[in-house]
Amino acid sequence: MLKQSLPLLILCGIGGIFTGSILGSMVDIFHRIPGLLVVIPGIIALRGNISTAFGSRLGSAYHLGLINAENMWNDALKQNVIGSLILSVLVSATIGIVAYFTTLVFFQQQVNFIFLLGTVLIAGITSGLLLTSFTIGIIYLVFKRGYDPDNITGPALATVGDITTMLCIFASAVFMEVVL
Amino acid sequence: MYHWKKIVINGMPLLFLCLLVEVMVGQLLLLKEQVILARLPVFLIAIPVINGVGGNIGSILGAHIASGLHVGSVEINLKDKIMHETVITAILMGSITYTLLSIGIYLIGWINGLAMNVSLLSFITTFLTTGIILIGLLSIVSVVTAFISFKKGIDPDDVVAPVVTTIGDTFGILILFLFIGV
Repeated sequence: MLKQSLPLLILCGIGGIFTGSILGSMVDIFHRIPGLLVVIPGIIALRGNISTAFGSRLGSAYHLGLINAENMWNDALKQNVIGSLILSVLVSATIGIVAYFTTLVFFQQQVNFIFLLGTVLIAGITSGLLLTSFTIGIIYLVFKRGYDPDNITGPALATVGDITTMLCIFASAVFMEVVL
Repeated sequence: MYHWKKIVINGMPLLFLCLLVEVMVGQLLLLKEQVILARLPVFLIAIPVINGVGGNIGSILGAHIASGLHVGSVEINLKDKIMHETVITAILMGSITYTLLSIGIYLIGWINGLAMNVSLLSFITTFLTTGIILIGLLSIVSVVTAFISFKKGIDPDDVVAPVVTTIGDTFGILILFLFIGV
């Protein structure tokens, strides 16, 4: 257990350091828009949950013989992609709404609602699209080489997922600041 | 076999529960915002690492216990020997990972020119103590969740990871705040 998992853990930790560094470089924007800090743990956690579940469903679909390298872009995959993207939109929007109202109740602090909702939605959708494509790409490579997707997609998503999501939040916050 | 509506409906309840908890975690961050942002920004880098590694170790532990339960090598008993060995390995693994990463974080914070206000030694001590307490707690949560779900006939593989990562995010931040005295 130690031998197999330790390298993976350290790799994931290095991914965490990158994620943290992006957070660290966002200090200024957190100062300007206080409510933004509230949505960060939610978006990162849910992105992780949604895309890991997507990856493990594709793994199971492979074991069940529903998809393979020659027959990738079929209905089983399409339904999974649509399902994950709809979950991303619903969950991101809810995070924005819950964050807005809890900040109002706990801190009597009025965050710009349009800004918050716009940021989480754009971040949720773009990171959803990016990570879905990434997972499909990885699964395709794994199929071609004949590995078991269950061993690869989880750790790969854990490392790349958080960094991608953080970058998307950063970019969409900057975008919303420019637009508004 | 797969339909997007089914995926959305099956995924929603657990996701909504996690979402509510995670927004509260965000509120905790906002509560201590001044301290983290202004005085100790290096801990902003540390938070995703503490939570990420803790959640991963808890999930790996849970997956091992779940497989053991499925195969029959682990029994639903708090005195189970294999379970004890797995927990000890998890704590050992966590200590090594956290020590190495804390040095990395400190260096990155220093290179990036963040306001440090903390020595390397006390940063490592804080980080490691938080990490070990978190892993101890998550080991208990992971084993108990695996046992309960298995007993109720639910596949532990579906339940342990989301439960452990959500509790890990909350307590990772709470324990850290306790130690940096904010």
